[in-house]
Amino acid sequence: MIVETGHFALVLALALALVQSLVPLVGARTNDARLMATGGPVAVAGFALTGIAFAALVMAYVQSDFSVANVWENSHSAKPMLYKVTGTWGNHEGSMLLWVLILTFFGALVAVFGGNLPATLRANVLSVQGWIGAAFLLFVLTTSNPFIRLEPAPFEGRDLNPILQDVGLAIHPPLLYLGYVGFSVCFSFAVAALIDGRIDAAWARWVRPWTLAAWMFLTGGIAMGSYWAYYELGWGGFWFWDPVENASFMPWLAGTALLHSAIVMEKRSALKIWTILLAILTFSLSLLGTFLVRSGVLTSVHAFATDPTRGVFILAILVLFIGGSLALFALRAGSLTAGGLFHPISREGALVLNNLFLTTAAATVLVGTLYPLLVEAVTGDKISVGAPFFNLTFGPLMLPLLLLIPFGPLLAWKRGDVYAVAQRLMAAFGGALLAVLATLLLADGASVFAALGVGIGVWMILGALTDLVQKSALGTVPLAVAARRLAGLPRSVHGTALAHLGMGVTVLGIVATLAFEAEHITIMKPGESTAIAGRTLRFEGVSPVQGPNFTETRASFVLLGAGGGKLGEVTSAKRVYTARQMPTTEAGILTLGFSQLYVSLGDPTQDGGIVVRIWWKPLVTLIWLGGLVMMVAAAVSLTDRRLRVGAPARRAKAASSPAGAKA
Amino acid sequence: MTRKQKRLSVIAGALAFLGAATALTFYALGQKASFFYMPTELQAAVLEPGQRIRLGGLVEAGTVKRGQGTEISFAITDQEKSVPVAYVGILPDLFREGQGVIAEGTMRADGVFAADSVLAKHDENYMPKEVADSLKAKGVWQDETARPGS
Amino acid sequence: MLFWIVAALLTLAASLAVMLPLSVKNRQADIARDHDIEVYRDQLGELDKDAARGLIGPAEAEEARAEIGRRILKLAGTKDGGGADRPARLPRVVGAAAVLAVPIVGWGLYAELGSPLLPGQPLNARLQADPAENTMEELVARAEAHLSSNPEDGRGWDVLAPIYLRTGRSEDSAAAYRNAIRLLGGSADRLAGLGEALSYGAGGVVTAEAQDAFKQALAAQPDHPKSRFYLASGLAQEGKLQEAAAAWQALLGGLPADSPWRGPVQEAITEANRRSAAVQKPAGPVPTQEEMDAAASMTADDRTAMIEQMVSGLDAKLRENPKDVEGWMRLVRSYVVLGKADQAREALGRGLAALDSGSEDGKRLTSLAASLGLASTE
Repeated sequence: MIVETGHFALVLALALALVQSLVPLVGARTNDARLMATGGPVAVAGFALTGIAFAALVMAYVQSDFSVANVWENSHSAKPMLYKVTGTWGNHEGSMLLWVLILTFFGALVAVFGGNLPATLRANVLSVQGWIGAAFLLFVLTTSNPFIRLEPAPFEGRDLNPILQDVGLAIHPPLLYLGYVGFSVCFSFAVAALIDGRIDAAWARWVRPWTLAAWMFLTGGIAMGSYWAYYELGWGGFWFWDPVENASFMPWLAGTALLHSAIVMEKRSALKIWTILLAILTFSLSLLGTFLVRSGVLTSVHAFATDPTRGVFILAILVLFIGGSLALFALRAGSLTAGGLFHPISREGALVLNNLFLTTAAATVLVGTLYPLLVEAVTGDKISVGAPFFNLTFGPLMLPLLLLIPFGPLLAWKRGDVYAVAQRLMAAFGGALLAVLATLLLADGASVFAALGVGIGVWMILGALTDLVQKSALGTVPLAVAARRLAGLPRSVHGTALAHLGMGVTVLGIVATLAFEAEHITIMKPGESTAIAGRTLRFEGVSPVQGPNFTETRASFVLLGAGGGKLGEVTSAKRVYTARQMPTTEAGILTLGFSQLYVSLGDPTQDGGIVVRIWWKPLVTLIWLGGLVMMVAAAVSLTDRRLRVGAPARRAKAASSPAGAKA
Repeated sequence: MTRKQKRLSVIAGALAFLGAATALTFYALGQKASFFYMPTELQAAVLEPGQRIRLGGLVEAGTVKRGQGTEISFAITDQEKSVPVAYVGILPDLFREGQGVIAEGTMRADGVFAADSVLAKHDENYMPKEVADSLKAKGVWQDETARPGS
Repeated sequence: MLFWIVAALLTLAASLAVMLPLSVKNRQADIARDHDIEVYRDQLGELDKDAARGLIGPAEAEEARAEIGRRILKLAGTKDGGGADRPARLPRVVGAAAVLAVPIVGWGLYAELGSPLLPGQPLNARLQADPAENTMEELVARAEAHLSSNPEDGRGWDVLAPIYLRTGRSEDSAAAYRNAIRLLGGSADRLAGLGEALSYGAGGVVTAEAQDAFKQALAAQPDHPKSRFYLASGLAQEGKLQEAAAAWQALLGGLPADSPWRGPVQEAITEANRRSAAVQKPAGPVPTQEEMDAAASMTADDRTAMIEQMVSGLDAKLRENPKDVEGWMRLVRSYVVLGKADQAREALGRGLAALDSGSEDGKRLTSLAASLGLASTE
């Protein structure tokens, strides 16, 4: 009954999405307020119905209702409750339902918070959201229906892939999807502007919060995914240039560019056409990511069951939306008016440069990700493009961008003075230089590159702080005044500084980990010790442990400091999941300050020892902390008054507020 | 400079930038992309010394030797030819005899493949996609995914 | 029933979401240009604030103010878009179509995809349901579920093993008995059960492996009737009919008056005596049980050759006269006894095709195949 209610609600949601994709659009074309007004309530109702469907599926998982094929395939009655719930989206069908749920969620948000948008823009945006919703609901219902039933129902499920039985699954996919799908709103705004053939003055102002929100979630999703892969896969790496990682990274790069170009568009009415194109490209890359992951055309840890019909269906959606929107762009872009002028050396110029770097970087990642597909299609050769390629292309592109970041926020609009800015950054430059020298002197065997890398991280952090210091006039006015000025700065200024600082923190973490990591593979017997990065790791012994749906062999270690004092304990395990008889490695991680000790187990040897792989990863947590700082930065920026206003208080036009906005 | 000249110079700069990036990308693709071979194909392939490749196939039964300490040797086979592999490190959880793997590394002069990473990334059949495709083409392995209910 | 009410309510709510905005009185849509002016006004205010904070210099502020002013002027020059020339028919048609589309698409598609009559089956509710109401299959599934998470539960295996045997899953039964023996020790009943399961698996033949199990059972409990019965059957199958009859006689003598084994043992003795008398008769054109039993006393190779010859003769006969259900049953059983499961299955397929699997004879053949552990190939 619950399951079928969910199924029915999902079908109804499709019906509403079809209505939403046509009726408001017709209303906008014929300037009929009533037709346009249907968009809001229909979007909200569509979200509610998709929510019912999703809740029903979660319920089926919680209750282990194996009459639902999807539950039978991916759940097990002995699984802990958390993983029963997260298992809902730990498979293809469920994760696509989550995708659609988030899509309708954003549609509903536009409906609820879009009350002060011009009626035609709002109607067009909701219709475009409706197209995406209808396409994906149709995809879910026809090729990936999670509500298919089994009769008679089996009594036990086949269990979730053990790698996915982790808290990471509770956070990573929802965050990532919030990011991916959040860009659909920017896309809808862009297409709506193209349909109308005009860009409202506040267009960028409306698009920016959605971009910020999506970017915030995507940043979090990527950071979380990276940390998850790091501790779960047991290889100690934090980024593999895996196609699926790239699939989430490309929209991030494009989204970051969009975030910056939208500022220029809002402040100066310039870069309009470019911003529209970026909005389309960003969501197109999100769709491409969905296609790459869901169709299984690329080998990846993320490839669940793969099915050609699904791939073809998503490919059709991809072609339809990307091709259609780009065609519309080609048709209409000419009619959009160009905006304000600016000197190449200016805030605008800096933001254009940023866009150039970011989009080029996204393009190289795209080439590296799709090239193997292309080569296989053309010549039949199977090749793989891995870290060496990206290090050689993505690296050189990022390096100048990172160096230039501190300049951007300090440059004036329209015409900037690069020497004055350089002068103001002298302190930050001095600090970075100091960090380079300190690294060379203090860290044993630090290469010049490593020291320079540390310098770049420090330069970015200090540069971001310089921005705040300058804008609050700290040092030139009394401290109390400066503090008041700092607090009075627009939130977006704080957001900018914080985001750039977060980027610097991440860079610092990456450099420190890559340059100063110590790794050691050895065989240990209980009681033996091994040295790692000036510390001593003692192997205490192994013990068998019985988990709820697995058995594991757990090895305990104790980490001793240089002086022999105990720094902490760490356990690492080999696990076998009973239902699928699948082994996994549970890495042992000990966090000391910002650094981590990482222990991974190999096979036991015949003489009672065990192969142990140990890493000392200095400052490794900074990589993800930086991501967290960037998320916070986006949240701070989102609270900026200017963004909340959207369209200002409508003193004169209170009576014309569109009906249905409060639905 | 007139406005038009200014705009042209900006566009020229951007194009030069893109051109450099494109050149870099294609250089990197030529240098850094690693080709995937099955053991039979490897016999026929012409490799430059030190060229990185990926070798895929099944772990030949009875060849896995956990040697001195952490060094491991095994052979990868496609049921026609087999290639000895040497690897130092921890094998992935799903590494076992008769299962599909991909090893990445270089061919040594003595005909042993020196792997620096071994992947047993898998779908539900514990078979990397490239390996499954190639083996299917050879008729060695059949896809047995029967997924009732879907 | 409840589901239909819920579905109807959901449909109603979805339709209302479309209908309500359409039923409001139509008004002039607001003009996008007004929004633009509001935005510019807001930008001017912001500019003043930034200038007051000293974030931008007075000259820059003045320049920016002028720029925004120019935008406002430009806007004032444009014409009002949209307006009165609204075709009245189209919106009404679209609105009506939209309201109708919700129930039509919803119910139409659901009728195609859904399983409205299938109730949800949460595992807990199913496990708490009265076991008496469960089908045998459900009970077995429940036990299997339990054992897959607790594979060391010997009692569970012990209970499940005879059920498997009764439902014809002799291989599972043998595995379950082995597990029970491993975990709980080899009692006579379990060992005999294993032997029985193995015999069933071999199409009724007490194989060497089964004999082993029965002998172990007798070592644990020398007067164990089931083991003695099957061992005697084994003798009979080897053609040692006198010995078998003697063994059965001895068993019968030791059985209490109310033993359930008395009946089967007596029947077996009668049958053995009848067959010892019949063994001397000449062999007919088709293999009978007697002939096969007789063959059992030859050397292994000769025996196989002879049986195979007879079976192929029968096979050829059935090709000419395919309506002979007894013949098909014999052929299938012979192949099973010879251990040629594939040919047995193939013969079963041919037989079913010839007899028409829906007919009475077809059903007899199917049930025989099932009792031999042969699944129909469909």
